Amino acid sequence: MSAAVFVRTLSDSRRSLTGWAVGTALVGMAYASTYPSQRQNTASIPEALRESLHVDGTAAGYLQATVFGVIVPLLAMAYGVATGSRAIAGDEESGHLDLLLAHPLTRTRFALQRFAALVAGAFGIATLVWLAILAVRNSAELTDVTPVEFLAQCLNLALLASAFGALALGIGAAVGRRAVVLVVSAAVGVLSYMAGTFATQIGVDWLAYLSPFHYYIGGEPLKNGFQWGDGAVLVLASAVFVLVGLARFDSRDLSS
Amino acid sequence: MEKVIELRELTKTYDSRRGLAGLTLDVFQGEVFGFLGPNGAGKSTTIRLLLDLIRPTAGNATVLGLDPRGEGVELRRRVGYLAGDFVCDGRQNVRSYLRFLAALRGGVPAPRIDDLADRLGLDQTSKIKKLSKGNRQKVGLVQAFMHAPEVLILDEPTSGLDPLAQQTFLDMVAETALDGRTVFMSSHIMSEVEAVAHRVGIIRDGRLVAIDTVAGLRADTVRDVVVTFGTSVPVTAFSDLPGAISLGLDETCRTLSGRIAGSPDALIKALSRYTVTSLRATEPALEDLFHAYYEGAEAAPRTGSGRVA
Repeated sequence: MSAAVFVRTLSDSRRSLTGWAVGTALVGMAYASTYPSQRQNTASIPEALRESLHVDGTAAGYLQATVFGVIVPLLAMAYGVATGSRAIAGDEESGHLDLLLAHPLTRTRFALQRFAALVAGAFGIATLVWLAILAVRNSAELTDVTPVEFLAQCLNLALLASAFGALALGIGAAVGRRAVVLVVSAAVGVLSYMAGTFATQIGVDWLAYLSPFHYYIGGEPLKNGFQWGDGAVLVLASAVFVLVGLARFDSRDLSS
Repeated sequence: MEKVIELRELTKTYDSRRGLAGLTLDVFQGEVFGFLGPNGAGKSTTIRLLLDLIRPTAGNATVLGLDPRGEGVELRRRVGYLAGDFVCDGRQNVRSYLRFLAALRGGVPAPRIDDLADRLGLDQTSKIKKLSKGNRQKVGLVQAFMHAPEVLILDEPTSGLDPLAQQTFLDMVAETALDGRTVFMSSHIMSEVEAVAHRVGIIRDGRLVAIDTVAGLRADTVRDVVVTFGTSVPVTAFSDLPGAISLGLDETCRTLSGRIAGSPDALIKALSRYTVTSLRATEPALEDLFHAYYEGAEAAPRTGSGRVA
């Protein structure tokens, strides 16, 4: 069996993938560039909020609260959910899946190639974000954060997008309906963002450990570099989402 | 004769309704088998079970001796399939899409794809989403035939095709059978199946209601007959004739008209006792026959002269 599904999925999505990557990178770059003018304003943010967003006067603190704390990960999650929902549920609803799975490949193999394409896209986006931030690193006075520390954060970004992609693909594999995938994934996304960000404030620290967000940024890669343990948790969660979805996918009827 | 498709008590129950109720059927190598029934009778359900797109509630099916569930990859490698509602991805042109599907099969010689497309009059440079329904159906036919599979499983293959392409398709089916390969095709139109099918199975409400050769089915059908006699015949001469439906003499007792079901043998023997000046029996309309089955005139499966499980 070839990697035909993987190659085709990537080549079919090259336009939208380019859109996600360029868009996310530009937004990240634009926000990062405002650091010099915003640096002074952080003092006016209420103490509790500053703490929850890890805001301090440093470049890493600013980026964690803005670029890498809100907008870029939300875009990456949106990419994961949109792509993951299309991977199986979208094609099943259109009827295209019937044709593809009437070919000599197993459902598992098909789904794994689709997932591999999703992950490749996530890494493409993260790479472009990394390059975009490096491009403004000097002009935006972000030199306190090393390129490797940026890379560590971008790796977690790719893993976060992949985890949400795995969730959406897994749900789609299990139920085959795109609307269900989008609703559940969006709900999980919002809840995990809130749990990851505000768990400490509402006094339930343990809640943060359930959130992919916590593993994405809780270890503060912009200050501490690679967080291999956190990354491993995201990889493991992705594997569980995909495998549970696949188990159901393999045993159910395709809808016609 | 080797069995290529074997269905045994194949049953599929959906949440709210029954899709198939204990279907047993054999299709033999080199045969063109027409699978007929009205919409919703269970034709597509049967076909999707064979390709492991859905799973049976009970019973089992094999294709080329392979179990769809356990040996699905090998089975699908050797089968060409056209879905009833053929959907393909519209973003690319026909050529690149067919090559992608060929790659899923580990590659198909390009000339074979081109030959089939040319034969059906399919322009491979068009974008799929700009194709008409008929041309999209041709894409489906090319992908089903291109790897010269041992078995073709085609669900309503001619839907949307113009008469010329329909004829080409029928030729392709006939050639496939001459090659010793097998074609299992569903339809709700008798005439297209009649043209190529060796045997026909009729399904209604998930059950097989008839299976026979086309000629065999025709033998059971209802004909209109009109007979005139040289002299008046006795009023009771044709009462109690087997198979007679509203068969009666006119007031002069010189003309017999009405309908007769099945073999006309009893009628012929009864007629031989009198002087017949003319006889007219219409060729049975197969469509009428199928309507009779569709409407439930027959409850139990019937078997005729054909090869039967």
